[in-house]
Amino acid sequence: MRKDRHLGFYITNIGLTVLFLAPFYWALISSLKPYNEILKYPPSFFPAHISIESYKDLFTAGEGVFVFFAKNSLIVSTLTIFVICLISIPAGYAFSKLKFRGINILFLAVLSIIMVPFQALLIPLYTLIHQMKLLDTHLALILIYSTFFMPFGVFMMRNSFDSIPNSIRESALIDGASELKVMIQIFLPLAWPGIITTIIYIFMQSWNDFIIALIFTSSKSAITLQVGLMNFATTRFYMNWGMINAGSVITMLPILILFIILQKYFIKGMLAGAIKE
Amino acid sequence: MTKNKSILGRLLFDRFHLLERPLFKNNLMNIKIENRRLQSFIFLLPVMLFAIIFFFIPFIKVVYMSFFKGAILGESVFVSLDNYKVLLEDAGFWRAMGNTLIYTIIVTPIIFIPAVFLAVLLNKKIKGVKFFRAIYFLPVTISFVVASYIWNWIYSDIYGILNYLLRSLHIINNPILFFGSTWLARFSVSIMVGWKTIGFSMLIILAGLQGIQQILYEAASIDGANQWQKFKFITLPLLRPTLTFALIISVAGSFQAFDHFYIMTGGGPARSTETIIMYLQKIGFEYYKLNYAAAISVIFLILLLFISVLQFWAGRFNE
Repeated sequence: MRKDRHLGFYITNIGLTVLFLAPFYWALISSLKPYNEILKYPPSFFPAHISIESYKDLFTAGEGVFVFFAKNSLIVSTLTIFVICLISIPAGYAFSKLKFRGINILFLAVLSIIMVPFQALLIPLYTLIHQMKLLDTHLALILIYSTFFMPFGVFMMRNSFDSIPNSIRESALIDGASELKVMIQIFLPLAWPGIITTIIYIFMQSWNDFIIALIFTSSKSAITLQVGLMNFATTRFYMNWGMINAGSVITMLPILILFIILQKYFIKGMLAGAIKE
Repeated sequence: MTKNKSILGRLLFDRFHLLERPLFKNNLMNIKIENRRLQSFIFLLPVMLFAIIFFFIPFIKVVYMSFFKGAILGESVFVSLDNYKVLLEDAGFWRAMGNTLIYTIIVTPIIFIPAVFLAVLLNKKIKGVKFFRAIYFLPVTISFVVASYIWNWIYSDIYGILNYLLRSLHIINNPILFFGSTWLARFSVSIMVGWKTIGFSMLIILAGLQGIQQILYEAASIDGANQWQKFKFITLPLLRPTLTFALIISVAGSFQAFDHFYIMTGGGPARSTETIIMYLQKIGFEYYKLNYAAAISVIFLILLLFISVLQFWAGRFNE
């Protein structure tokens, strides 16, 4: 009887699941077909022969420049995560435990970063980065991403630290520990879910960014996967659907894997980022 | 003892109360409080540096730049409101504004109606709910670039799976060019954005739904209300703040649309899907009219600031 009541639920959801996953499936399958089969009409729903020629071509094109794209994305994203954690953990700690008169103004300052769309600041940022001679470098992207994604980290850390009772800190201070020590050795381990959520969010934002990378990079020394994929798809691999799908699969793989393992943190992070404001 | 004190000692004792106060302890506390402020400052310094150098200064600079001309040549000339006057007459700018607005109007219900439906559907404690939530959220995690290419392939007129399915079901006879006409292009992109964003809005609405107490539904049941009535008289009114909030986030996001139009339509048939940010990028980074682009940026800023303020104001209802 109970099963009957939920049958409608399961049927609807399974149907919707198929619809939502279909594009992923289709891209994956298309990337694994040999070239003559991709363009076959009617299209096959499962490859007659599984082939990785698209991937081979993707990675060997232009003397392996796609690997550079991947390398750049990886370097920029991980360093951005590192920088943001480095600066936002102490800041979150200060906002949570080291309050002083006037700290709210600083908090408002950090808050205002999310209220303003970064696209409006691309022009002055471009002239600034140009003056700093940092155009087309990893550093440029890291600095910009760090600025605009850091507020999320600050809020996450502040909230995480808020939930740790002050008494722990006070007793540690009485025992002679410095604030730095308290933060690193006591609060940090207790706040690791918040840190993981921050890391995931920052990785997602920096890995998936397109417009900032587009504007501030121009050569293979800094072009990221998103821009590189677009480059390939509009120039040398225009309408090469096998390669485009393969590139798409590679580009979305890291974040998908991360999501499958750590969905709890993704969803928590999304809600926190949106609602806590 | 007072008798033996010197005049100096007397002074110290009576006028300055130096021997009465625990002098040393007070100083230590003062040092401690000063220290804490300094410490807090040091902890906040890196964040503040980033904020100042890469946010506040550029913020001021973009406004400043909008009143000049000729930045790329190295000699900026002050022209006060000239850029804005030109902007008022700029057909390309207004077209971009219109495109962005139309796109927002199309895409928002495409995102919202399914999102509400899914949130209600998944607001249950049935086994597997968490799995389904994750599935619908999955497209949110990938980039717009990848999503655009995945859907470009689906929409392809000759090789695309969608055209194939429509033709084999005899719904159409000839392949549809999904980006061939202005309105169709807008819808095609909107469907992709819907697929990609529904999960996100769904989560926000779900959170809002979970804030509504079950007792209300139970009381309504006792009064004989059916599903639809419960939805209309309990769910919707109580969900209004959450919906408003989610709506504003969605609208703000739609106004910033760039990636997907850049890749799927490149501005669309006859520039009908060129959004504000696409226009900004073209003026600033393809034509290098930096000052003019700065003026566009400022207008865009004002526009979104307005939406942000609405978001904050509406968010207060959540308390």
